[in-house]
Amino acid sequence: MKKNNEMLSAAEIREKRLGVLYKILPVISVLLLVALWLAASSSGTGFPSPIQVWDRTVQLFVKPVKKLSLIGHVGVSLRRIGLALLFDWTFGIAFGVLIGWFPRAKAFFGPLFNAFRAIPPLAWIPLITLWFGIGEFPKVLIVIFGSLASIVVNVQAGMSNVEKMYLDVGTVFNATPRQRLLKIAFPSALDAIFAGVRTSTSAAWMVVLAAEMLGANAGVGFLISRGMDSLDMPLVLTGMVAIGVVGAILAIVTQFAERMICPWTRRKKSY
Amino acid sequence: MDEKKKVILRLENICQSYVVQNGVKDAVENVSLEIYDNEFLVILGPGHCGKTVLMNMIAGLEKPVGGKIFLDGEEIHGSDRRIGMVFQSMNLMPWRTVMGNVEFGLELAGVKKAERRAVAQKYIDLVGLTGFENSYPHELSGGMKQRVGIARAYTNNPQILLMDEPFGALDAQTRYAMEEEVLRIWEQEKRTIIFVTNNIEEAVYLADRIVLLSNCPATVKQVYDLSGLPKPRNMTDPAFLKIRSEVSANTDLAL
Ligand SMILES: Nc1ncnc2c1ncn2[C@@H]1O[C@H](COP(=O)(O)OP(=O)(O)OP(=O)(O)O)[C@@H](O)[C@H]1O
Ligand SMILES: [Mg+2]
Repeated sequence: MKKNNEMLSAAEIREKRLGVLYKILPVISVLLLVALWLAASSSGTGFPSPIQVWDRTVQLFVKPVKKLSLIGHVGVSLRRIGLALLFDWTFGIAFGVLIGWFPRAKAFFGPLFNAFRAIPPLAWIPLITLWFGIGEFPKVLIVIFGSLASIVVNVQAGMSNVEKMYLDVGTVFNATPRQRLLKIAFPSALDAIFAGVRTSTSAAWMVVLAAEMLGANAGVGFLISRGMDSLDMPLVLTGMVAIGVVGAILAIVTQFAERMICPWTRRKKSY
Repeated sequence: MDEKKKVILRLENICQSYVVQNGVKDAVENVSLEIYDNEFLVILGPGHCGKTVLMNMIAGLEKPVGGKIFLDGEEIHGSDRRIGMVFQSMNLMPWRTVMGNVEFGLELAGVKKAERRAVAQKYIDLVGLTGFENSYPHELSGGMKQRVGIARAYTNNPQILLMDEPFGALDAQTRYAMEEEVLRIWEQEKRTIIFVTNNIEEAVYLADRIVLLSNCPATVKQVYDLSGLPKPRNMTDPAFLKIRSEVSANTDLAL
């Protein structure tokens, strides 16, 4: 009994040490980046130092640009991708299931979809501006065009690679076509669907910033183009840091959601 | 003929072949069999002889190119609720817990949650997995996974249970334990079991009758009646060893 306890605590110590290590490593990398940044900005090429960027960020809260603080601009960008992702995760998943599960639908829509996917989202800007002018809707539309393909492709891959052995279980139990789709194929594709959720989120975040840089009066992308126009480099870097931080938070949130919804994908830690 | 020998499943000239790169591959040839109600029938055959193909046809997972299958006197085409299957590769759904896997068949049949939970729990207890209801398959050992597969098949209350080399992937110790377990469950919950194996000892240990298949394409080589050998059997008993070597001498070597 005693020996057992000792073994357990050895395992716990290993677990704890690893836990600490995995918490320290990212902190070290961030510190290294800041150090490099300090070194690069001290050479006097007009590249702002972290301190200048920090001051500029604080100033942004005191004296907002276009009545919005940094948080406000991040919020505007997030709202745009939120609306786009809402569409991606409903229509996009449904469409991916359609062309992944029904071979006829794939034969019918496949070529069109592949052509659509090949067009970069920014190429749509002229047409979208022509049809819908400038406003919120066309921006959300560009984000949708830029992020829809990644979820559709992932969902389609998951739905067309359902393992035969799971479907065999359904056959033995006389599953209806509807049950085969909803109780076997769809859940077995959930990890692929989540991969789509993750990639569409990061794609949407990239596209919204690009779209905002081309013409907007709010949003993080707008902050960067404003900084560029007024030769305000610290503002540009504030925007870039905000993009990085928000992007990382989005990745963590989607990962966390996946773990909550698909607990069986939580694999054992490897040492 | 006494009522114990009621025929429940009859295979009539079952054939299966596949189109492959260099022609046609015959996997099962003219297999005719009568399987009696509540018997433990073991189908013994060398590796790759067509055992899984034969089981798949009975389960309705593939259609034979020739021959007929009669269940309770009626011809069946495709899968039937009265036939259950324990798969060679277990086929547990990784996104479902043990309970979710075991109750799957009843869920598809539209049985209400409380009721199917109760039935599933009964079989989870029967196979000795009490306490693991909420575990996921990746948290279980090979033997435990196969227990889940057995419980899942029993839960739908089939008349005939097909078991396709259920213990092929297990180590020898676990295998012996599982063989005893399957006999215990069979005594407790009488069903017709068609058990596939390539292991002669396992066959002689479990079977009421052994159907010996030839090399690929599978044909019925011989049928042995072991009902004279009382169960549970002792693997070192002279009568056991005698029949074992008899079957062994008659078995084709796997290619
Ligand atoms: N869909 C298929 N297409 C072509 N050949 C097949 C197909 N299914 C099975 N076969 C062939 O039929 C033969 C019998 O296969 P089967 O899986 O039934 O063997 P088995 O007796 O179950 O072997 P094991 O003991 O390894 O499980 C094999 O040679 C296999 O290659
Ligand atoms: Mg097999």
